[in-house]
Amino acid sequence: MVYGQTQHVVMGAAYGAGASRRVVAQLTVTAEWAELRDAAGMVLARAPRNLLQFDAPIGTAPRKVTFPDGALFETSDHAGFVGVTGQTRGAVLHQYEAFGPRLIGVVLACALAAWAIWRYGLDILAAIAIAATPPALVAQMDRGTLQVIDTTMAEDSILTAADRAKVEAVFTKLTAALPEDVRAAQEFALLFRNMPGLGPNAFALPGGTMVMTDDFVKEFPDPNIIAGVLGHEMGHVVDQHGLYRLYRSLGSAVLIAFLAGDVGPILDDIVLEGNVLLSLSHSRAQEREADEFGLRLAAAAGYDPAGLAVFFQRIGEENGADEGMEWLSTHPLSQDRLQRIEEFIKTLPQDQ
Amino acid sequence: MSAALPEGSKPFQFTGTANEWFGIWIVNLMLSIVTIGIYSAWAKVRTKKYFYNNTFVEGRNFDYHATGGQIFKGRLIVIGALIVYQILLTAVPPLGLLLSLVLLLAFPWLILRSMMFNARMSSFSNVRFGFDGTTGQAMLLMLVYPIGVLLTLYSTFPILDRAFKRFSIANARLGGTRFAAEFPLGAFYKAFAVAALWVIGVSLGGAALFGISIASFGSAAQNAETDPTQILRLISLAYLLFFAAILPAAFIYQAMTRNVIYNNTVLEGGHRLASAVSARMLLWIALSNTAVVICTFFLMLPWAQVRLARYLAAHTGYSLGGSLDDFVTQAQTTGNAVGDAFADFEGMGAGLPM
Repeated sequence: MVYGQTQHVVMGAAYGAGASRRVVAQLTVTAEWAELRDAAGMVLARAPRNLLQFDAPIGTAPRKVTFPDGALFETSDHAGFVGVTGQTRGAVLHQYEAFGPRLIGVVLACALAAWAIWRYGLDILAAIAIAATPPALVAQMDRGTLQVIDTTMAEDSILTAADRAKVEAVFTKLTAALPEDVRAAQEFALLFRNMPGLGPNAFALPGGTMVMTDDFVKEFPDPNIIAGVLGHEMGHVVDQHGLYRLYRSLGSAVLIAFLAGDVGPILDDIVLEGNVLLSLSHSRAQEREADEFGLRLAAAAGYDPAGLAVFFQRIGEENGADEGMEWLSTHPLSQDRLQRIEEFIKTLPQDQ
Repeated sequence: MSAALPEGSKPFQFTGTANEWFGIWIVNLMLSIVTIGIYSAWAKVRTKKYFYNNTFVEGRNFDYHATGGQIFKGRLIVIGALIVYQILLTAVPPLGLLLSLVLLLAFPWLILRSMMFNARMSSFSNVRFGFDGTTGQAMLLMLVYPIGVLLTLYSTFPILDRAFKRFSIANARLGGTRFAAEFPLGAFYKAFAVAALWVIGVSLGGAALFGISIASFGSAAQNAETDPTQILRLISLAYLLFFAAILPAAFIYQAMTRNVIYNNTVLEGGHRLASAVSARMLLWIALSNTAVVICTFFLMLPWAQVRLARYLAAHTGYSLGGSLDDFVTQAQTTGNAVGDAFADFEGMGAGLPM
């Protein structure tokens, strides 16, 4: 071995392959060869330098290098180790992790990137997932969900044929008023169910199946209200809110499980609840989007868009003045929502 | 809850520092976020390595050997299965139900693989750990026993807990050297009783002090629909109950059983482990850590984690029955990273209790 001016030897401890027997040892490295000797100078291992496996440095934990035969050398002499081996794999990462002002930039980058993922990244991922979901599967998901609803909480509708016909007429006019491309891409079906537990309600499944409860038809026979609410539900379908929500919640559950890892006792619950609160705000944004779609569609089909406002006003009165706090709700508060709806109606073209 | 380690045993040493760990943690986090979670597999390895490498017994440290690639593949498979499962659950509900049943049966198998994987990927003094638990044992402990615990209204919980801890430790090996674990059942019941007494005592004491009775709790629940202010009352009562009664009780139970477990674990050849954590200190660390972490928007999380690791190491002890030079790595099945990823996703720490 050739020794130069600089230090090529570092002291530490050596282990045989897979064994805990530990001896004081010194590691010598030249450009081509590496050699491990014990205190008596006996060679423990010798190998070409390029066959050594250097563990990436991490903090100030002991550095390790493994010989091809499994012999392990470790040392806490970091400067000495680097002096012998030169820069090894992981050195750059190690440098970036060093505690210092630069980490403030990393913290800011983290915050910015987390915000960008929550605001855009999850939606982009969800959009890719939605594009990859075959329409036949979405239709099947509708059938599956309906099956569950029918067996657990819905009974056959007890509406008269005349009552249904009235709602169906509104539904037909609305679908006819949909933009050409939307009508070509998306089918809609309207179903009636008697769901006493749900009160006056209507909802849409991702594939375009819409369900209206008997109580709704009885309580809100006004075609303008029916148009506003059906339009709102169609908005959920057209903008694929159901699928977005499914994929977003899957995505954020996975990200939290794998990113947050073990944050420790109590704190992990806080992280999970924070995620739920954030997803609620997303759900409120979807409601607003669907409102605007419904208002536009109802107006285009020749109905008074104020019908939706009347609906929320009545619902708001029934719930009483105190609605609780918005950030704890999946839907916007009726008061704010009404105001928003009225403002949006003013922006619609007045051609009726 | 003894405050000191037994005579003749020396504490584990943890040499990690908050500054150092902060740098590693924040760079891990940034790379994980920027890569939409992909790097998190490599971040996990780095995290484990940092804590293992900085834990010493007699100047010898632990190490973690899984690669980011292994963890990443396991996670991909788990995520793929999760998506398929979710879609099937909505698309074909009967099939989804059947799948849930399959998953329930697969659960013990997956956790067992995860325990094997974690043991195999961990080493002390250059010798790999191993885990020899069988699928039958895992099924019994994770499927059959819990049903018995439910049927007996949790009164047999200490039996299940003791059996599971025995399973985790008595099946573990360091190289070819086995761990012996004989935990007195009485000690588990004692911990359970003290925890239960705490809950009852605090509830009664609180009721007497603040005039909160179970009846008022019940009436608040009943009136919640009509009077929304009752909901707030109900929520604050629930929080009070959680922080004053249930959380401390959980720490009492954890601390007392941890001490029993370590104090009765012997590595073949006479190396003994010991533990002397106190419930009061663990609770204090957990609560103050939570407060500090929240007030600093999670920036002090690394500090909190190092603080906990330091406390645990300083209150975990060992006494040697001979030389540490005689362990040798044994061949064994590796388990798999899919089980490990599954355990991560479920939020279960399935490694050796440390």
